[in-house]
Amino acid sequence: MNTTAMHKKPVPAEADITRLAGHRFPGGTYTVAHWENFLLTECTGAELLPDGQVHPVALFHLPIIGAGTSIAEMFDLGQAESDLSIMIESYDWEMFQPLREETRYSVSGGITSAQRCKNPEGKLYDRIAFCFEVHDPRGTLAARTTITWHYTRDTL
Amino acid sequence: MSVAVGDRIPEWVMDSVTPERMRTMAAILRDPNPIHWDRDAVNALPLGLGQRTINQGPLGLSYMINMLHAWAGPDAIRRIVMRFPQVVLDGERVVARGEVSALRQEQDVSLAECRIWLEHAERGVLLEGTATVALPCPLS
Repeated sequence: MNTTAMHKKPVPAEADITRLAGHRFPGGTYTVAHWENFLLTECTGAELLPDGQVHPVALFHLPIIGAGTSIAEMFDLGQAESDLSIMIESYDWEMFQPLREETRYSVSGGITSAQRCKNPEGKLYDRIAFCFEVHDPRGTLAARTTITWHYTRDTL
Repeated sequence: MSVAVGDRIPEWVMDSVTPERMRTMAAILRDPNPIHWDRDAVNALPLGLGQRTINQGPLGLSYMINMLHAWAGPDAIRRIVMRFPQVVLDGERVVARGEVSALRQEQDVSLAECRIWLEHAERGVLLEGTATVALPCPLS
């Protein structure tokens, strides 16, 4: 287990959150190997898709890792008080072509918005949106994903 | 295949969400969040969920992807927007459902806008969102 998981961090200053908007990840590449697609697809309960097509569930981690970041770093950037404090608001996955196994995709991404908010009960949380673009080896946009998370504060 | 607004998409059933699949997924995703693989961590939360791990958001979404693939083909999905009002827990039986809310033509592609959701018999709608799907047939 991540040793930081159970140790809450203090609530960050609002300015430290809002200045995250515009943050860019280093960028990089990601290739989904056959074994990885096999295991991913099995996790969804489906059969492998035809012609080496990657199950779209890969559109969560492929952009994150391909852009040179990680779920753990995304938690840290928003100063999550623990690994347990992140709530999903939404995922928006745009697919312009099917992804294929053993194909090297280029990925770029960053933080498009970061705001301090209050829920209807008056509890503080920070809403951070990450956007990634996935290009195929010819440079054509293959997918765009937006992940919006709530970094809850002093809730759990 | 003929599609009309209001049509229901054939449902797709996950008979039992398993903790083993969550663990495999956590490893592939490099997801450090213990809610996906440590039942004690979930039990310690003040959420009353008990000794059950919480399914990854993308896995819950994938059941609706599987439903759309079975309906319209493996390369039919153009966009999915998903919200997560409730968690999905290990051991649960969940059903992906959907219905066509609008039809439109974009250049030479027929598109269906769909409302999609993941449902549990007792807890109701767990995930909900929309999907844009390319249809393998012209609009009539």
